[in-house]
Amino acid sequence: MEKNLYHNRLLQWLVYVVFFAALAVIPLVMDDAFLLNQLATYGVYGMLALSISLCWGFGGILNLGQGIAFGLGAYGMAMTMQMQTQDPEYSPIPPFMLNNGLDALPAIWEPFWNTGFGIALALIVPTVFYLIFGGLMFQARVAGPFFAIMTLAILSALATLFVDLQPYTNGVNGISPPAALDIGGFVIDPYMSTSYWVVFALLVLSTVAAKLLTQSRFGLIVQALHNDSERVRFLGYNVAIYETLVYAASGLIAAIAGCCFAFLTQYVSPAQFDVGFSISMVIWAAIGGRNSLLWAIIGAFLVQGAQSYVGDEFLNSWILILGFSFILIVRFLPGGLGGLAETLLGMVSRKRETQESLTVGAGEPETRGA
Amino acid sequence: MDFTLASFVNALILGLSIGSIFLVAALGLTIIYGTAGVINMAHGEFIMLGAYASYTLQNYLGVPFFLCIPLSFVVVALIGLVIERLLIRYLYDRPLDTLLATWGVSLVLMQGVRLIFGSDPKYIQMPSFLSTNIAAGPISVSIFRVFIFLVGIGLVAAVWWLFYKTEFGIKLRAVTQNKEMAASFGINSGQVYALTFALGAGLAGIAGSLFGVLNIVLPTMGMGYVVEAFLIVVTGGGALLGSILASGVTGEAQSIFAYIFNDTFAQFLVFVLIVIFLRFRPQGLIATGGARR
Amino acid sequence: MVGVLEIKDLHKSFDATKVINGFSLAVTEMTLQCLVGPNGAGKTTTIDLISGRQKPTSGEITFREENITGLSEHEIARRGIGRKFQVPAVFRELTVRQNLEVAYNRETSAVRNMFSFKPDGCAKRLEEIAADVGLTERLGIKAGTLSHGETQWLEIGMVLMQDPAMLLLDEPVAGMTEHEMDKTVEILNRLKKTNTIIVVEHDMGFVRRIADVVTVMHMGSLLAQGSIADIEKDERVREVYLGTEDDEESVH
Ligand SMILES: Nc1ncnc2c1ncn2[C@@H]1O[C@H](COP(=O)(O)OP(=O)(O)OP(=O)(O)O)[C@@H](O)[C@H]1O
Ligand SMILES: [Mg+2]
Repeated sequence: MEKNLYHNRLLQWLVYVVFFAALAVIPLVMDDAFLLNQLATYGVYGMLALSISLCWGFGGILNLGQGIAFGLGAYGMAMTMQMQTQDPEYSPIPPFMLNNGLDALPAIWEPFWNTGFGIALALIVPTVFYLIFGGLMFQARVAGPFFAIMTLAILSALATLFVDLQPYTNGVNGISPPAALDIGGFVIDPYMSTSYWVVFALLVLSTVAAKLLTQSRFGLIVQALHNDSERVRFLGYNVAIYETLVYAASGLIAAIAGCCFAFLTQYVSPAQFDVGFSISMVIWAAIGGRNSLLWAIIGAFLVQGAQSYVGDEFLNSWILILGFSFILIVRFLPGGLGGLAETLLGMVSRKRETQESLTVGAGEPETRGA
Repeated sequence: MDFTLASFVNALILGLSIGSIFLVAALGLTIIYGTAGVINMAHGEFIMLGAYASYTLQNYLGVPFFLCIPLSFVVVALIGLVIERLLIRYLYDRPLDTLLATWGVSLVLMQGVRLIFGSDPKYIQMPSFLSTNIAAGPISVSIFRVFIFLVGIGLVAAVWWLFYKTEFGIKLRAVTQNKEMAASFGINSGQVYALTFALGAGLAGIAGSLFGVLNIVLPTMGMGYVVEAFLIVVTGGGALLGSILASGVTGEAQSIFAYIFNDTFAQFLVFVLIVIFLRFRPQGLIATGGARR
Repeated sequence: MVGVLEIKDLHKSFDATKVINGFSLAVTEMTLQCLVGPNGAGKTTTIDLISGRQKPTSGEITFREENITGLSEHEIARRGIGRKFQVPAVFRELTVRQNLEVAYNRETSAVRNMFSFKPDGCAKRLEEIAADVGLTERLGIKAGTLSHGETQWLEIGMVLMQDPAMLLLDEPVAGMTEHEMDKTVEILNRLKKTNTIIVVEHDMGFVRRIADVVTVMHMGSLLAQGSIADIEKDERVREVYLGTEDDEESVH
């Protein structure tokens, strides 16, 4: 019987602990505020890669429009932060609206007076959007490449809509709230280690939640329908609901990432809906390894880290290299770096097994989506 | 806004023109998808390459515009052929991976062009008589849009002839229907796929040389077309006739919504309507025999 | 007596070809009914229609006095109809154990399954069924690496995990060895005491050993129905069927 250490559940959790412990050490040994802010942004990218891995690698639903949830989340958070700096008495309307000729606060902005309400909306709106859109598509059994293209279409439609609604969204210029996010007195200053800790905590939280989801019965059924969705129907499961929920769960994570992005950069614009950015998310997950939540996060760190290392000067050549590596990965290494690790560990485990004729591991069945 | 009859007729004519642009953009994609089932995300970049090919031919070699169009076909078809031989042919049985790989290709093409030509806009000149308008009373259309419309009809006719009146067309349809069966009759499906891919790329090249006149030429210009072209193919159902109908309908819808609201909102509305349409008719307007999804 | 499953005047066409042509059938509770007929008679299509994979052009299917025509696959499955495919369909990337766990469908709600990690009673039943279908040793390996016969067993095991009131088995013994077939006969004869079963099968030798009732289909309609002895005497059946039986034997 084949036993690969890579598939050992206990070991997987152990690796997660080590990985996050390493991330937790960083702010203790480094006090460059600017760098810490940048690292926190990587955490946001990590969350996005995680969400792609959950949806695509685990659920088999290729999602090229993850910017939808990311952008909606970021806008929701930026609107909340903007309203924190307004005063109901003296300056009830954000300046850009005045410049755009509005003389009253639009109704859709009203709920954002309340910070809790605003943040809740920033998470609920994208998730509900995913539930509705995903529900429509999956019930019609639109799947595979077609679904991917529809997500892309919706993404670009949203981007044009947000540019178009200039008075409400400030168009291409976007919204730049003048002050840091303040949650009941707890200020998340983007250039203090607090912001790093908040992003870190949310990354850990979403990773653990996603991991638990993959290990639940829900996760098992999703694995099955990734394999053969037709067959799952005949076992009595409503496939469309499962698909919609995986998609929406990944959307929720992306929305959280969007919120973090907004308070880290104090800025949001239609660039968050950029098709190119959503492509990047898929590339991170593909290079790191789409079948593994953790490796997808590592993929985001590696690619974005390398990108800022080569700097803006060589950005063009860098993107060219990235494009080529993406093609090569798809063609020759569909599992990405994680897949490579899986193969190597498999070889090591087998060797050890034959040498010592011992069974390794705690006897848990192997799982995909490590 | 004043809802006069003339302005509404103008909107309808514009819709026809938008539809023909959609069709020209989607034609190559329809053929590649309809035959080989390949989702070619680099299609937009093939259009972009067509525009740059025309620009280069015109600016550096002084080739007249009308000659640039067929030459762009040849250039982009050759590039398409190379890409098919090097990459796509290994991925025919992995549709999602084809999509991703061609996406990588699109990234590389876009970036490659940016490195060679820079990010600043380029312009393709057209003969002056194309840049005027024909007017009949209050109704007026630009001649170049009429020209695109005619080219669209010409291309559809050519593709139809190729599919239904030539030996290659017979082989192509045989391969589309049943690859194994076609192989047993000695048809080399690999070759057919390669030629089809090149043909589809070439058609994108023609689209590019036209769109390069209509808009400015930029490395990123393909991005917008690929999504629209795909929606046409998906809405149409993957067949030639489906794409023609779908471009007509969406073109008109877009123009009429733009007439009532504005351009961007019209686009948003059309996309949303397509999503709702697909909910009730996922196989598209004209279902092709062997459903691929 | 009224049947658990009743099919009335079923029709199904694909484009212009009529595949099922006014087929009617009543299946009595706790019987094993064999559906036989030459290639292309429409047996698999009938199973598809009952299980919701295809929607009939016209006609009505009732199960336990409820009209299930036009319901979707999962709704039909939840009413207690389990099926096995002609070409064995298992989750190749999952382990044998996971395949059986997925088939254990007491809880189908997606939301509740998010918070469930080990369903009650699954493990015990899983061990029993794995032993029944002889896959105890294979629980840890990927289903994609099973032999053809084992894959058939696994799919039968999956249907058993569902514990359906009615089992639709499309050619369950195709590709099985003599010994494996004996085992299947034994399991089916035990099951039919508590479940209603329809088995599609070509192999008359196998049919003889399990069938309570045999239904012969030809060109989408019912040709004959009765005990195995009746059927073997029937002139029309001989005409359409026996001519092809020899070919069938050579396939196995
Ligand atoms: N999806 C489909 N589209 C068109 N024709 C179909 C389809 N499914 C089945 N058919 C046709 O319907 C007829 C009956 O097929 P079916 O699979 O039900 O036969 P069967 O009795 O199960 O045969 P076998 O013994 O070979 O399994 C065949 O002629 C087949 O070609
Ligand atoms: Mg059959």
